[in-house]
Amino acid sequence: MFTLQILMMAIRGLRANLLRSLLATLGVIIGVGAVISAMSILEGTQRDIVERFESLGSDAITVYPATAKSGGRTIGLVQTLTVEDADALRDPRRCPNVADAAPEVSGGTSIKYFSRNIEATVLGTNEAYADMLSYKVESGRFFTRDEVITEQKVAALGYKVARDLFGNAPALGFPVKIRGISFRVIAVMEKKGDIGFRNVDSQVMIPVTTAMSRLFGIRHVHAISVRAEGPEKVDTAIAEIKRELRRQHDIRLRSGLKDDFLIFSQEEAREQFRDVTTIFKVVLYSIAGISLVVGGIGIMNIMLVSVTERTREIGVRKAVGAQRWDILWQFLIEAGIISLLGGANGVGLGYAMTDLLEKTTRVIETFTTPMVVAWALGMAIMTGILSGIYPAYKASRLDPVEALRYE
Amino acid sequence: MIQIESMTKLYQMGDSVVRALDGVDLQIEQAEFVGITGASGSGKSTLMHLIGCLDRPTQGAYRLAGRRVDQLADRRLAKIRSEYIGFVFQTFNLVNRTSALDNVRLPLIYARRHSTRKLAMRALERVGLARRAGHKPSELSGGERQRVAIARALVNNPPLLLADEPTGNLDSRTGEQILELFHGLHADGVTIVLVTHEMAMAAQAQRVIRMRDGRIVEDRKVDEAFRQELLASGMKPVGPSAVRDQSIAAAARE
Repeated sequence: MFTLQILMMAIRGLRANLLRSLLATLGVIIGVGAVISAMSILEGTQRDIVERFESLGSDAITVYPATAKSGGRTIGLVQTLTVEDADALRDPRRCPNVADAAPEVSGGTSIKYFSRNIEATVLGTNEAYADMLSYKVESGRFFTRDEVITEQKVAALGYKVARDLFGNAPALGFPVKIRGISFRVIAVMEKKGDIGFRNVDSQVMIPVTTAMSRLFGIRHVHAISVRAEGPEKVDTAIAEIKRELRRQHDIRLRSGLKDDFLIFSQEEAREQFRDVTTIFKVVLYSIAGISLVVGGIGIMNIMLVSVTERTREIGVRKAVGAQRWDILWQFLIEAGIISLLGGANGVGLGYAMTDLLEKTTRVIETFTTPMVVAWALGMAIMTGILSGIYPAYKASRLDPVEALRYE
Repeated sequence: MIQIESMTKLYQMGDSVVRALDGVDLQIEQAEFVGITGASGSGKSTLMHLIGCLDRPTQGAYRLAGRRVDQLADRRLAKIRSEYIGFVFQTFNLVNRTSALDNVRLPLIYARRHSTRKLAMRALERVGLARRAGHKPSELSGGERQRVAIARALVNNPPLLLADEPTGNLDSRTGEQILELFHGLHADGVTIVLVTHEMAMAAQAQRVIRMRDGRIVEDRKVDEAFRQELLASGMKPVGPSAVRDQSIAAAARE
């Protein structure tokens, strides 16, 4: 009952100086708003990336080329992975725990169908690629092993590429020109969206051999996607890949040579990514903390003014029997309400800002967790109360006689 | 009710020490109506603050309702103010942003009383302001504000009412109404200590204490002759109160 009445008093005190109370909350509003939007963006991005990792499957392994060294000197961006490497990894006698492997070479390029011309990513790979990613053909068929070996000029179009080039008209059997070379469309893929960090809908898949010799003029592949026989086989599969690639590349560790490839499992990649986001989180939380401290100073400032201005009122309250605690409480609650209001409005602002960012950029993914909101609100209230302590203490210690004399 | 023995109060004012009260002895019985007068700086306000337990004396003993209160801790003093004492000030000292009713509720809230609304309404009825309960001080006349302040002073039913120039900011007719209220309360058995520099006001009391330089220089029951004398001196309000008080003092000496 008593606390309720003190609360009512505090609310009336704040309402009497509405503009000032609002200004006092401003720092907290901005602080909390900033925390929430920053954390939402971070969280959203994190979730997006984790989702991408997961879309690859936890049994996915990627092999990248590393810089090759010759006599202790780096000899540039030497590409060390080949189609033969991918084939070796696919051999069940050599790597029994590898389910399948697909080499990848890719590049952005323009694709033409008569007068229509669009930009797309061309991916050279082998016949295992689509199955490995559970990426299905909508019409036609994916290219075969023979077509890869014989460097056929055939193409499987991603959903969006097919749409953009052919509209609703059938695409199968028609020729498209990639860098001036004519490819026959043999497949239109289902609509899939993102797999990993790649939007497969705006991708054109052709045999890796054709891509290397005809389009890009290279002898090496950019990466090899590997799938283990199961999530629990990832570690053994990695060991097999290492052994096999060392054998293929004639790397003898004992003679001081280093691996010229890097292997990432989904788990490892995700962990590395987590480490990075943790750093971001720490930085963001610190910035947020600073902005809340600034907000707290704002509250303290306003509360000190308020205490000075109401010195006489405090004297009267004491004269009619208020204890120090009563005065302390009243001002602490005022500070608490200011910060709570600031926090609540800050949450609103944070939501509005993330929403705006998401809608205007269309790239930034945001996700606001209840934890972040709770944390921001809690910090705001803490700040308010902490910054209210000194003014409230000052008010409670006022000498009643002095306070009553105050003009 | 009030027993004060050789009470001294010193203030530090910059480098010098001001002797606001200098060995005051005073006894006030229950249900007395006492006027304290004196020029400004005579120590009458200091005395009132000490009687009201707003402050502690530097020296001397103070018994309120038989209990030593001169060296109590702030917490206990606040409790005594809450239970025993009601204050009425010259400038009303209402909390401006809240209604008359809420102002009157304050002492009840701090005394952790229940049904504060009902009790506060009753106190407002007692001063004839029940109909104005919802109004804020700024919407009330000076006389009404002072009546709200009196209701606030009375709401906890304290045995002692301390009034510091309660009519100082009011016109004479409104001032009379306030005094009538005091007389009514006095009749109900409330002890009233009225601090004023106006002799006409002091003449309303049963007993007048006159102070100068922190000492009591006169302590006298108000009989008819004294009342006339006070009224006569109070009739010539010229200049600032200090000048007036001196002229009154001169008149009293004659």
